[in-house]
Amino acid sequence: MFAVAFLARRNLSAHRGRTLLTLLGIVLGVAVVLATQVTNQTTLDSLYEVFDRATGQASLLIVPVNKERQPLNQELLAKAARVKGVEIAAPILQARTLPASEAGSWQIAFSMTGVAAGNFFDLTGIDPELDPQVRVYPLTSGRMPRPAKYEVIVPASYADKKNLRIGDKLELLAKDQPARLEIVGLLADEGVAMINDGAVGFAPLQVVQDLFDRAGELDEISLKVSRQLTENPAMLEAYKQQLATRLGEGVRIVYPAARGQLVGQMLATYQLGLTFFSIIAIFVGAFLIYNAFSMTVVERTREIGMLRAIGLSRRQVMQMVLAEAGLLSLAGSALGLGAGYWLAQVLVRMLVNLTPNSGNIHDVPPAIILQSLAIGIGVTLVAALIPAMQAARITPLEALRARSRSLGRLSPLYWIAGLVLLFIGWLITYRIVWPMEVIYFAGYASLVCYFLGATLTVSLAVNLLEGFTRPLSRRIYGNEGAIGSANIRRALGRTTLTVASLMVALTMIISIQSLAFSFKSDVQDWIDNSLGGDLYVRAALPMRESFAKQLLSVPGVSAITPIRVIDVQVAQGSLAADPESNDQFFFQAIDPASFLQVGNMKFAANQGDPAQNWKRLTQGQAVFVSSSVADRYNLRQGDTVTLLTRRGEKPFYIAAEVVDFTGQSQMFYGAYADLRNLFNAQGVDRFAIAIDPTFSVEGVMQEIKDRFQKSHNISLQSTVAFRNSILDLMNQSFRLFDVLGLIGVIIGGLGVINTLTMNIIERQREIGGLRSLGMTRRQVLKMVLAEALGLGLMGGLYGILVGTMIANVAIIGTNMMIGYDLVYRFTSSPYLISVLIALGAVQLAAISPARRAARLNIVDAIKHE
Amino acid sequence: MPVLAAQSLTKTYRMGEVSVTALDDVDFAVERGEFVAIMGPSGSGKSTLLHLLGGLDFPTSGEVFLNDLPIFKLSDDELTELRRRKVGFIFQFYNLLPTLNAAENVGLPVLIDGQPLRRERARIDDLLTLVGLGDRVDHKPDQLSGGQQQRVAIARAFVNQPEIVLADEPTGNLDSRSSTAILELLRSTCRELGATIVMVTHDPRAASFADRVVFLKDGRIVHTLTNGAGGIPVAEIVDVMTRLEL
Ligand SMILES: Nc1ncnc2c1ncn2[C@@H]1O[C@H](COP(=O)(O)OP(=O)(O)OP(=O)(O)O)[C@@H](O)[C@H]1O
Ligand SMILES: [Mg+2]
Repeated sequence: MFAVAFLARRNLSAHRGRTLLTLLGIVLGVAVVLATQVTNQTTLDSLYEVFDRATGQASLLIVPVNKERQPLNQELLAKAARVKGVEIAAPILQARTLPASEAGSWQIAFSMTGVAAGNFFDLTGIDPELDPQVRVYPLTSGRMPRPAKYEVIVPASYADKKNLRIGDKLELLAKDQPARLEIVGLLADEGVAMINDGAVGFAPLQVVQDLFDRAGELDEISLKVSRQLTENPAMLEAYKQQLATRLGEGVRIVYPAARGQLVGQMLATYQLGLTFFSIIAIFVGAFLIYNAFSMTVVERTREIGMLRAIGLSRRQVMQMVLAEAGLLSLAGSALGLGAGYWLAQVLVRMLVNLTPNSGNIHDVPPAIILQSLAIGIGVTLVAALIPAMQAARITPLEALRARSRSLGRLSPLYWIAGLVLLFIGWLITYRIVWPMEVIYFAGYASLVCYFLGATLTVSLAVNLLEGFTRPLSRRIYGNEGAIGSANIRRALGRTTLTVASLMVALTMIISIQSLAFSFKSDVQDWIDNSLGGDLYVRAALPMRESFAKQLLSVPGVSAITPIRVIDVQVAQGSLAADPESNDQFFFQAIDPASFLQVGNMKFAANQGDPAQNWKRLTQGQAVFVSSSVADRYNLRQGDTVTLLTRRGEKPFYIAAEVVDFTGQSQMFYGAYADLRNLFNAQGVDRFAIAIDPTFSVEGVMQEIKDRFQKSHNISLQSTVAFRNSILDLMNQSFRLFDVLGLIGVIIGGLGVINTLTMNIIERQREIGGLRSLGMTRRQVLKMVLAEALGLGLMGGLYGILVGTMIANVAIIGTNMMIGYDLVYRFTSSPYLISVLIALGAVQLAAISPARRAARLNIVDAIKHE
Repeated sequence: MPVLAAQSLTKTYRMGEVSVTALDDVDFAVERGEFVAIMGPSGSGKSTLLHLLGGLDFPTSGEVFLNDLPIFKLSDDELTELRRRKVGFIFQFYNLLPTLNAAENVGLPVLIDGQPLRRERARIDDLLTLVGLGDRVDHKPDQLSGGQQQRVAIARAFVNQPEIVLADEPTGNLDSRSSTAILELLRSTCRELGATIVMVTHDPRAASFADRVVFLKDGRIVHTLTNGAGGIPVAEIVDVMTRLEL
């Protein structure tokens, strides 16, 4: 429409300030959406890279139920590769052998110590083309073996020890006669080269099958599955179960040991946090836009009334407002894309040491650009729709009123709708059990419900809150303070918009920071407690328990505890699971007394007195179960589970649920006494050692190595490095949330400036009137600042309440989506920031509008047009 | 045949318990080319009557006929179009768009009607010259005085050659010299363009420019003064006002 477009364009260019504020809202919205998506993508890629390097890319393994009796059939490989979701299926066949030259000494080594196994050589058959896509082969020189050729790669350190070079032949004991494999590549000491303490080699699968007479057999198939699945532990778990049924009997699907749930959960939480943030960003953007447009409409009520009087139809009025929105959304979105790209670069640069690769943004996928554009344009139009409809409802009579209507009253429908939305949000979160496919959607829907609901109920709370804030305003700003505070109550609609924009910003800060903090402290707790000990001593075969005494005699070792893990079977029908399922369980024996000197267990929520739980475990025939086992098999504290022991089926009391991040979690933790008495097993897989803080971990490690490495063939691992590497990784990835919080602060501040400025624009005439009555500029300034103070207090209070609530909801959502037991933890920093924003930043933000009001030319202000 | 006729118009405002009858069964007609003034004390229902005549508001009962067309039977869109094409308004507070210059403000109804301004440019300039603003075509409202703004509003009211022009205290905000100029302008425009005007006013001098003065009290027409030759002596109007205790 010609007239409509003409009027819209004129309006935009005539009200520069307002147009710019609105534009700013859209630019911010689009930029934040784009930036979070891009940063999200880039950092997630980097995180994946970190984890992939450390743990390989296989997310699932196919292993035989009984390795000795029934290995995997090679035909399974093709079958697995065809399954939807499987990207790569890489076979592995392991042959435990000996270098031909050491065949004699092995006997002696074994009989002397009774425990050593250091001389074994693990020859691993792989597909040399597929495997590097699943595991990292850190070649320092040479190349991978060629398929079906008698070639092998070994760790450089192993080659050194054995005096071998590329081109030399490695002689190994095989089925009939020694096999001679040409060494074609050397590996650095990391990743796969660490298997079997470095006594390992990789050769083509066919060669290993030939040499050991195992044609058509496999020990393991590593599966790399689609990213969609790996990103979501709950989905991966469901997929794993589907796969097990699909592939039939004789095989089990397990997680690779290194890539525990921790990784999946960490990535998932991280990504969830980011997505959560972009939703809030969209919401905030939409809110700013809506705000700007409804102010525009209110301000122009008279004008629109006149246009209606002289013949503009309702539809044309609506078109006019929407045309303005359309023009602004196009310009705003275009600018927003640029700003967003720039913002993403800043964000990514702030995270630059996360990985060497994260310094530059990979290409911005067109999908993200389209998405941001769609959001910018769509949200603007939707946000402008309500004001447009309001504008269309303006009657011609409005033009004839001497004073233009203010956004004073708000229909109770708003807060009723708000309460309804809050209720729906509550239903979604607490009452309805959602199927896996829609749970993400449900989670986000509930967040939007809470946000909108909280926003709409602001009007309900304002009257009540103003009663509290007025005395404070009066105290600080005197009588003008009281007038300013009263303004808050008078223009409820306007107040709602300002309070709500502040609330949204604070909510964002509080909920994101709390979520991140809760997760971080959870992992930290686990690292501090469950990872117990500063040093692990391991050996390939179980060590004697009495070895503990010898280790304890090393200066600096303050405590030591033994750990032994054995396979265990659950009696048929004991668990509420499919009796056919071939789930694998482990029994981890610990010695409670010494275990508690070295570390601790992290109990799940509501497990009662930890001392009691430990006491029960010590009494025997009792176990702790990991939370995921408890969830999967519906086991609770106080239940029993029947395990197959050497003495027949025995009931075990479940003394507590514990949280375990790394294990594959099919774990029962029991006492050593039970291991001995009921499972007839003994020995130690690893000793966990606590080191006196006055000693250096490295020093003690060296001492232990010097004393025992030769005789006991042990390997040592300091958990300090591991702990630090996990903490580092976590701190770095969670730093993004701090950066995002900063954006929240900026958005919040701009939102408040925006609404306050619009307030002043809207009330020019009124303020002019007050000035003409003799109010000094100073008094006007104070009045506006007092109003801002009241608004800040209300927004602050509301934001803190709603933020805390949404943080809790987000945690519940995370638990629902990721199948995780996160608890809300209080951290003071976002609250301090919120108080600072509500009081300080809002006052600062009010200064410019207040000065604008104070500087108003009285004559201009009271002029009718 | 009257160009505009009100038939038993009643308007009652309900405000909770209290109800105010602003107009009480009013019958009223305006002939083509007539210049009618409505007078009465504050709160007597003058503005209410004018709003109803222009279809800006809806009556509690009764009907308004424009060229025999019952306007309250129309849909909102039809009524809007009728206002756009057949009715011109002059408001006490001018109500110009601050973003448009004088010529564009005058042309606004044309624009809203979906026609490009260019084609009507000559007529708009003529109208502005008629109201004495030929040299202020490009001025924005805030660069014009109150009287000048009101003259722009008058030109705007006439741009679509309406059947009837309704004015609510068009001189309420002006000094007596500007008022006289505006009123003479209204009368001459009425003559020259053959338009019909209904004007609400408090000012006996303003009313004296009309062909007929209608007196309202408590929502009813209580008296009418007519002078076929145009122009009613101010004294006569003041006399009626005192007699009716207006
Ligand atoms: N929106 C409304 N709600 C309630 N009562 C109204 C409303 N508008 C007008 N009234 C009442 O209707 C009566 C007539 O009002 P109207 O505006 O027509 O008077 P008027 O003759 O134009 O007065 P004035 O000369 O002061 O402009 C008054 O008593 C007024 O209080
Ligand atoms: Mg009136």
